[in-house]
Amino acid sequence: MRWLIRRVLKRGKGSVSYEDDTHYGDVLTIGRGSDQAIFVPDMRVALEHARITAVASGKYKVESLILAGIRVNNELTYATTVGPGAMVEIGTTRIQLLEPPVDYEAGAEISTIDKAEIAAGVKAKALPTSLSQTWLAKRTPSWVLFFAIALLFIVLPMLAHYSPGFRETLNATPVVPHQTAWQAGELASAHHFFGENCGACHEAAFKWVRDTSCGVCHGNTPAHADPVRFNLPELGEARCAHCHRDHNGQKGLIRDDQVLCDDCHKDLKTRSGGASALADVADFGTAHPEFNVNLPAWTPDGVFAPKRTVLAQGLEEQSGLKFPHDVHLDPEGLNTPDGVRRLECESCHVADAGGAIMKPVDFETMCQDCHRLDFDVREPNRQVPHGKVPEVIYMLDEFYARRALEGGYNDTTAPTVVQIRRRPGQILSQQEQVEALAWARSRARTIGESLFTGRACTTCHAVSPGRNPGEPWQIAPVRVAGIWYAKAHFTHAAHDTTVDTMTCESCHAARESKVATDLLIPGVENCRQCHGGESAKNLVPTTCIQCHKYHEHEALILSELQARAKAPAAAATPQTP
Amino acid sequence: MHESFLTHENKRYLWVALVLLVGSIAAYVWHDPIGRPNGGTWLGYTLGTIGALLIVWLLLFGMRKRTYANRVGSLRGWLSAHVYLGTVLLVIALLHSGFQFGWNLHTLAFVLMTVVIVSGFFGVFAYLRYPQLMTRNRENATRQTMLDEIAEIDGNALALADGIDPKLHQIVLRSIEKTRLGGGAFRLLTAHDNSELAIERAREMLEKRGRAETNAPKTEEMPTMFAMVDFLSKGVDDKASEALRKLIDLLSRKKSLATRVARDIQFQSLMEIWLYVHVPLSIGLLAALTGHVISVFFYW
Repeated sequence: MRWLIRRVLKRGKGSVSYEDDTHYGDVLTIGRGSDQAIFVPDMRVALEHARITAVASGKYKVESLILAGIRVNNELTYATTVGPGAMVEIGTTRIQLLEPPVDYEAGAEISTIDKAEIAAGVKAKALPTSLSQTWLAKRTPSWVLFFAIALLFIVLPMLAHYSPGFRETLNATPVVPHQTAWQAGELASAHHFFGENCGACHEAAFKWVRDTSCGVCHGNTPAHADPVRFNLPELGEARCAHCHRDHNGQKGLIRDDQVLCDDCHKDLKTRSGGASALADVADFGTAHPEFNVNLPAWTPDGVFAPKRTVLAQGLEEQSGLKFPHDVHLDPEGLNTPDGVRRLECESCHVADAGGAIMKPVDFETMCQDCHRLDFDVREPNRQVPHGKVPEVIYMLDEFYARRALEGGYNDTTAPTVVQIRRRPGQILSQQEQVEALAWARSRARTIGESLFTGRACTTCHAVSPGRNPGEPWQIAPVRVAGIWYAKAHFTHAAHDTTVDTMTCESCHAARESKVATDLLIPGVENCRQCHGGESAKNLVPTTCIQCHKYHEHEALILSELQARAKAPAAAATPQTP
Repeated sequence: MHESFLTHENKRYLWVALVLLVGSIAAYVWHDPIGRPNGGTWLGYTLGTIGALLIVWLLLFGMRKRTYANRVGSLRGWLSAHVYLGTVLLVIALLHSGFQFGWNLHTLAFVLMTVVIVSGFFGVFAYLRYPQLMTRNRENATRQTMLDEIAEIDGNALALADGIDPKLHQIVLRSIEKTRLGGGAFRLLTAHDNSELAIERAREMLEKRGRAETNAPKTEEMPTMFAMVDFLSKGVDDKASEALRKLIDLLSRKKSLATRVARDIQFQSLMEIWLYVHVPLSIGLLAALTGHVISVFFYW
């Protein structure tokens, strides 16, 4: 095989001359050794550095014979097969492999790399020595981050506000932030069901949430007080959101702090210019007035109309009953038809289903075992019904009419026709019937009178003559259990009396009570045994909202207030307090 | 005596920061907001405003340090204030949030801010520690003089090795080819010079040949330099062993220089690397902060 070795000789001033030589053999050896086909006198070259084999026409195999390798087409390599035009660099020598010239099977052009090129090469190959030369950058990531955040967290949520369609698309898209990315805190639990629709409350951009937005759902909520009647800025100008601040957690919407109330109520009389009759109140532990209770009372027509009265020593309750608690709660027990029985509070006082108040005392199940309503010694099991005067009268009339007409009534004071037993098929004459029924009417009246005025009803009730002939007697109305604290929501359920630490008697001094007029409803000092003010340390910290409501106006609701605010003329005519 | 940015002007900005810190915490403790503390109370808005202004001002440091002609305070004063007030910002932002976090833009801004501040803490550490280490490492030379010396040693070592044994010449050549100073970011930060790698390969070759030609002892645990001596000292004359000792001296000197240059690059890189977190995230924070402020007032 014949190689054309062409040496490029630089003559200075850019002129170049060539010197051709022929090398015989398949292999072209390169090195610093004098026996090499291509002799490279350079310290950075090994004696036998590399060899190039012409494997086929125009194909060359370049191999490095030492570990330092050889640079082919600017890549450090140990062995590679290349075509014509490939550049092999060793030290300062460059060998360009040629398309085999005419009459040759292989060719190589050898030239020297000039100093400027070497310097440029060194610079180009130099590795980065500071971070700014590596892939790390500050400017590009800064811009990318800035615009990514601006797009994802400003533009998208804002678009979602203005375009409900886009909002739905956005909400249905995973990964990208939804409008909720703007939520500064978790919504109150009741608001979660429309939580992804910010515009439900935030109707207009850069504006406060309006009360009308709240009114969409909460319009029927009672107002607190009439701002026209009580000219307090806190009432007239307060927005719903002043107190109800959402995005403060699931339970963060309802305020229960003391300042909610006491900022106005601690000196309400002065603030309202005397318009309010409410007592000033602040901390429950130190500045709460004595309770008002609803004392049972009735109008002359018998309609229940409780009287709100401040609890005071010696205040009497007119429940309409006569009832000594001490007798019934005798620790020795009571002699009953079923033997000796010890009564407890819950024998008569049972909480209603909600646990807040006590159910009315039930005569039939709680009293009648002992306080029987029988009326005739000959038939001791028959009793008159309780609580319904006309029915008692009817029953007695009917009972004795039947006894008189059937005969055989064993009472020597009765007429003979009543006492005589009838034979089968015997029919009374008209005169006998008149006589018997006259006895029956008189007997029913006598027995009725003894029941109502003597032995039965008056044991517990006040009985007075009736107002019409059908109702010869009238029982005074009774109210035993009911709502005593009308403006607070005390509940028995929260005060478990089945444990030793708290019993009924902790609050109600029933065991010593001799008469029913003893008011057994406790006052504020009783509650203060356990409940203190907002910042109480050794007592249950109790704020106003634990017993009272804010939205409790009896007539005015929020939507009316909002309607008034829209038409200020209507509000301009103040009502007389 | 050199004054550190931490002690600038009798720690003036430390005191400013402490006053701000104590004031904010005291206000937070004293404040009794409706509901739980949050950014929407008057104190929340106040702390938020202070925090936002601080962030903008802290970002301006990037501009101030580029404008050498600027006469508004010395750059060291700015850096001192940047460090101290930036640290207080973390507490102010926490108090502003009322310690409420969630998967939202607001917490994103807080997280970005926290990462920026923490990366800044590393920066303070780096600025306090690495300049000293760099000075000690350079031993009064500059990086360029060390690099020049390495190049000179390379030339001398090649000539010397060639005089001893062609095979040794190859090993040295290989070592020169493989000595890499600099490279990718990871390489810069971990001080690799690869001279060990080259020596490792040389040792492998020596071992292979040792096994083939002589009963040389196993050299696995032996440092390359000694392996070379061990292998080559067999059957060479005194003159060659003199040259060999010289070569080993040269190579050791080169190794130490290469290590020092690599360390120099590492220190410099460590002093810069945190900025690649600090700067982009602070710009990201600017976007998140803008979004935070817009969203809060958009849905007031």
